[in-house]
Amino acid sequence: MENKSKSSKKVILGVAALVVVIAALAILYNVFREKPVEGSKSITIEVVNKAEESTKYQLKTDAEYLRQAMEEAEGLTFSGTESEYGMMVDTVNGETADYSVDSSYWGFYVNGEYCNYGIDTQPVADGDAFSIVYTAE
Amino acid sequence: MERKKKTGEIAVQDIALIGVMVAVIEVSKAALAFLPNIELTSFWIILFTLFFGWRILLVVPAFILIEGVIYGFGLWWVMYLYAWPLLALAVWLFRKQESVWFWSILSSIFGLMFGFLCAIPYVAIGAADGGGLIGGLTAGFSWWVAGIPWDIAHGVGNFVLMLTLYRPVRAAMKRFSFGAASKVSSNN
Repeated sequence: MENKSKSSKKVILGVAALVVVIAALAILYNVFREKPVEGSKSITIEVVNKAEESTKYQLKTDAEYLRQAMEEAEGLTFSGTESEYGMMVDTVNGETADYSVDSSYWGFYVNGEYCNYGIDTQPVADGDAFSIVYTAE
Repeated sequence: MERKKKTGEIAVQDIALIGVMVAVIEVSKAALAFLPNIELTSFWIILFTLFFGWRILLVVPAFILIEGVIYGFGLWWVMYLYAWPLLALAVWLFRKQESVWFWSILSSIFGLMFGFLCAIPYVAIGAADGGGLIGGLTAGFSWWVAGIPWDIAHGVGNFVLMLTLYRPVRAAMKRFSFGAASKVSSNN
């Protein structure tokens, strides 16, 4: 009889040790696993459409240029024609500005000033506030 | 009438047995392939070592070789080269144990530690890649940690499978009256 309780004690100890090992592994995993790295630059992108409605996107990014940052912004869509200077954007969030039709275009601003570069070459710095404004002349 | 085997002799029977053992492991592996990290390879290597003794020395290499042929000789194959022999060795050291709980826990620990064992080549790779020993250990550690959830699944799977299958399979194997199987004691 005593033999049986001895062996069941061993069983309980063994299973308990196993549970401890599993728990230790789980803790190790939670502490040491690689977490997705946030981008290091905080920027905002504001889109003002034809109806002058504004949508703001805040993101942390490592993007070097505005185009990649725009691609990363969740909910922001854009398209255009590729040229040797990069993309010329004609559609933002589904809204197209066609210069040949009504002299409208999407104007890009950084920190209040007109961008001197296309989106492929406009640098992104930490703290930059970009605006994409539907403009009709 | 069978003549007695000379020392070190492998009988035709043994060769056939080894072949069937490898086949059982491979078929089991294929059958469970859809369940990641749930496997019967550990189970069979444990039971085969317990029941067929020295023959496992040929089963494991044959199994590893066939695995390489089927799935390609990748880095994982290098891990196989030491992981399964290690299991067979551990089983052999504890071959007197007969408790289903003991073997379930041992099988589980092997499953839990499988990732840790498999991280060793990554230590070598990390070190060779210019990181030195520290770089290697860091690489191995990261690789191991990333796989821990799978190791946990592996450990739990091994535990449940051994707990369920040990007694019935053992009983079935005891009916093979030749060679090593008959040496197993008859108390369940």
